[in-house]
Amino acid sequence: MRLFWELCKISFQRQLAYRASNLAGLVTNLFFGVLRAAILLALYDNREVIAGLTQRDAVTYTGLTQAMIAYLHLFGVNNGLMNAVYSGEVATDLLKPMNLFPFWLAKEFGGSVVNLLLRGTTIMAAYALVFPITLPDNPLQGVAFAVSLLLAWQVSFAFRFLVNLSAFWVLNAQGIGRLAFTVSWFLCGFLFPLRFFTFVVPAIFLNYAPALYFLGQPDPLGLPAFAPFLAPFVGAGIFLAAMRFWQYGIRHYQSTGS
Amino acid sequence: MNPIISVRGLEKRLRVGKHHRGKLGLLRNLVTREYNVIPAVDGISFDVGAGELVGYLGPNGAGKSTTLKILTGLLVPTAGEVRVNGQVPWKERVSYVATIGAVFGQRTTLWWDLPVIESLDLLQHIYRIPPDRFRRNLDRFRELLELDPFLHTPVRSLSLGQRMRADLCAALMHDPPLLFLDEPTIGLDVVAKERIRSFIRRVNEERGTTVILTTHDLSDVEKLCGRVIIIDHGKLLYDGGLPDLQRRFGGKRELVVDFAEEYQEIVVEGAEVLGREGLRATYGFERDRLSASDLIGRLSAKYRILDLSVREPDVEDTIRRIYKERLLDA
Repeated sequence: MRLFWELCKISFQRQLAYRASNLAGLVTNLFFGVLRAAILLALYDNREVIAGLTQRDAVTYTGLTQAMIAYLHLFGVNNGLMNAVYSGEVATDLLKPMNLFPFWLAKEFGGSVVNLLLRGTTIMAAYALVFPITLPDNPLQGVAFAVSLLLAWQVSFAFRFLVNLSAFWVLNAQGIGRLAFTVSWFLCGFLFPLRFFTFVVPAIFLNYAPALYFLGQPDPLGLPAFAPFLAPFVGAGIFLAAMRFWQYGIRHYQSTGS
Repeated sequence: MNPIISVRGLEKRLRVGKHHRGKLGLLRNLVTREYNVIPAVDGISFDVGAGELVGYLGPNGAGKSTTLKILTGLLVPTAGEVRVNGQVPWKERVSYVATIGAVFGQRTTLWWDLPVIESLDLLQHIYRIPPDRFRRNLDRFRELLELDPFLHTPVRSLSLGQRMRADLCAALMHDPPLLFLDEPTIGLDVVAKERIRSFIRRVNEERGTTVILTTHDLSDVEKLCGRVIIIDHGKLLYDGGLPDLQRRFGGKRELVVDFAEEYQEIVVEGAEVLGREGLRATYGFERDRLSASDLIGRLSAKYRILDLSVREPDVEDTIRRIYKERLLDA
């Protein structure tokens, strides 16, 4: 456990070291967030509520989803494992006496925490300055949001890890990565908070579910009441699959050397 | 000898995709998958005793790195037996790699964007090195490898020589009894090479660390290795001492003579005139047939000599001849 936290700390420091990149990412996320909010407001066209969300909710929704881009790597920009397999760096990792799955988990988690703290909170603070936004009504709602945010990261990590693992079997997995992230981006409700985009269960636990907890909205999907409680199980399922495929990947690497 | 490494009948066959040429070939490549099976390592056996410093040599594609990957547990062989430190490298990866150190010259095991010292601190946790031992080793390696000027510099900003020194330190912080070095001096200048060589020698002598070294720089081998293993096309060609290799395949020794005056005829029995330029002549002679002192005696008896020097056959030339002329293939 000590090693896990040390690795988290190191990856936290690493992410902080890229100051210009962090700032550029923040500005870009803010710019497109404001653009998305403006488009949504135009779509509302003086109507107060659409699909259970007020104008204020919808604007907050764009802010929340923008704030989660870097934290959840929604655009699939982190191909660290894929690159490590192709560059052979994974071989030097295998020379270290530790289980590499938690190693990658810690490596990604530290960086994501920086993204959440630096980008996420700054984006929400900027939104609060520019737009009227909806805030959680009570502490319980805030706790539910925090828990769902953590579970969202678990789902996101396991999903990205699975996609990255394809590098063990194909010569160039960039295409698979792009396809997977485009689909998940579309299905997790990033573009619009509309029902028909959010029917794929794992995807809704990325940024859609945390945003709804934050807004204190009843589930607009028409799913049963227990649906939100599925998040940990969905996360655990994808997580276990990722761990299993990691073992297959390493075995394949050890037998082929590539 | 009680071997720390024991390799028996090691084989590794790699599948390499086959590509067909032409328009039909393109179509064929698209719908079928055909492979050539390449024997990267083909029935190699050897033992390495504790405390030995062995050079593992061979031309490009000979199978050196594949063997090293198997010995470090990164690859599973197709056939054969390997026991290192009493363990099968690829079977118990985590416990096995804790007992070895490895440096791959082309790659770093350190964290690219972290200062060297922070990478080393992290390795302390990874290898569970007790704090006092960590401190003791760090102090010793800081001194031997002169790490202080760049200990707090991010790895990405280090020169190649500095990075290699930091990597060597990282590979030895946990006191492994066995060290694998894959081209540790590649791309380094002469001063950096010498510093690395001297460090490897000291680690081997003072700590008794067994070292397996692959390199294309034969000065490394000449200066460090008492024993060399040569492989080509995955097969073991030679396993023995460097002097013996030189004796068998080293070619001629040379004697360079500066005469005091011009002579028309400078032939001496048992030696061949390899070149002549003004008053200087170079003789070639076989170690087994004529000693240097005998040749000098014969020359001094016939001619007035100002100066002379003996040149031993170059290891690099010997190895080049072995690769090129396939002297060990039989």
